[in-house]
Amino acid sequence: MRSSVIRSMGAVGAATYKEWAAYRSHMAVSLLVGPVYYLVQYFIWQAVYEGRDTLNGLTLDEMLAYFGIAAVIHYLIFDFADWNLQMLVRTGKFVTFAMRPMPHWLFALSQKLGHRTLGFWIEFVPIGLLFLFVFQVDLIPAHPWLAAASIALSFMMNFLVNYCVGLTAFWLVRAEGIRRVILLLKDITAGVFVPLSFFPEAMQKVLFFLPFQFITYVPTRVMLGEYELAGITLSAGEAVLMQLGAVASAWIVMLLVYRLALKRFTGVGV
Amino acid sequence: MKGLLTCFIAVMKTKLAEQMAYRSHFFLSLAMLIAGDLVVPLITLLVYRSGASFPGWTLHEAMLIQAVFTLAKGIAFPFFFGMVGSTLVHVREGTFDLLLLKPRPVLFMSMLSGFDPDDFGRVVSGGVLLAFALSGLPSPAALDWFIFLLLFAASVAVLASFSFIMAALLFRWVGSSRVYDIFDAVTSFGMYPGTIFSKAFQQLFTYVLPIGMIAFVPAQALLGQGEWGTAVMALAAVVFLLLGTVFWHRMLRSYTSAGG
Repeated sequence: MRSSVIRSMGAVGAATYKEWAAYRSHMAVSLLVGPVYYLVQYFIWQAVYEGRDTLNGLTLDEMLAYFGIAAVIHYLIFDFADWNLQMLVRTGKFVTFAMRPMPHWLFALSQKLGHRTLGFWIEFVPIGLLFLFVFQVDLIPAHPWLAAASIALSFMMNFLVNYCVGLTAFWLVRAEGIRRVILLLKDITAGVFVPLSFFPEAMQKVLFFLPFQFITYVPTRVMLGEYELAGITLSAGEAVLMQLGAVASAWIVMLLVYRLALKRFTGVGV
Repeated sequence: MKGLLTCFIAVMKTKLAEQMAYRSHFFLSLAMLIAGDLVVPLITLLVYRSGASFPGWTLHEAMLIQAVFTLAKGIAFPFFFGMVGSTLVHVREGTFDLLLLKPRPVLFMSMLSGFDPDDFGRVVSGGVLLAFALSGLPSPAALDWFIFLLLFAASVAVLASFSFIMAALLFRWVGSSRVYDIFDAVTSFGMYPGTIFSKAFQQLFTYVLPIGMIAFVPAQALLGQGEWGTAVMALAAVVFLLLGTVFWHRMLRSYTSAGG
């Protein structure tokens, strides 16, 4: 990558960081919301595990660790590129990006990097410490480097999926409804609400081939040390390799859709 | 009273017409609400399908709580929760003054301006869930239904109070859409049987922050576990509603318009 592109990305990221730092309290709400949701999960699973050691291959400690890890990963990979892009297309503001010497997807990625850097300090660190020391969630990954790679890939996958959802705005007048449909399906099939191993066997086979598991389920299982879905068991390293392939494929798809979308775009003077 | 009713009908007509301008979006949003409301019941179903359960609660009993929760939202959200979003926008843009100038109570005008017909979709999802839950339970007696309706009204009052508190916060905490996240997180305790929580939390959710009143207590009435004593607990909901209303009016004083 050329140094000028890296400099531009750094500048956009830094500007986004400063812009959002003005709304720190908005982000800091996560300090209440995250632990409260975890507390609900804690009570649910404590009750569900009464009189049993494992459920769908997970012990109570692993289940609580799953939700704790999924929560902190969420703060590292959070994304709203879909909403942002749809707003730019609907309001016609996208026209200013069509004239810039940087593709919009790269601009959006830079924004995400800046936004999540701020989220790292305001959300991830305090909530991580709270989970680690107050709720005693085991957040120490079994394989630290593989876990870091998996989270980085899930960061990208979340962006790529959301950006593709945002691109639907080039074809639809009001894409908000479809955006919400896809995002809800994404969260369910990513394992945000419940580990994917809870789904029926046939459904797990479908989920295995969808890109969404790479956003939450895979990095969480990699943090736990082992991956299992649809009867397929993989080591953490194999799971990360599979994730790498999925992210590369999603990136190619996003670039193709992006090119098609730009051909469709009409704005004042374009 | 007649004036208020006329206002209400006029706004309802306008809001419906507004929604019909983008019909596909309206119906898609409606479908989304229904699908979104079915997520927690889906998880409950998956848990029970795995052979596990909430101790002392069958699948249909647990679903009943989630059905009542969704139904209560189906009634409270269209009427009360739109005001949270409209207050957020009005205060941020400095246009809340327009509501202050109107010859009707400000709280009423604020509720009206936020009326959202989309949210009636939750009545459908709540109804479907209720039918499913009741299909696996003995039919409640007439008295149980009566106590349930009393407690259900209390449930809507609790939700209304939450919306007043959230909207009130926005007079000072300008433009923060995350009040919704706080509401969703705090009330998520109310979607599960109260008995799974520790005693301290059960007391907290009954008398201090009556989240248990949203669904757990009314559902108990339909399960034949409600008594007149339970109905007295609805008083906590009434007190909560009063507190919410007083809080909203107190916070309104701190609203500073674009003119200062």
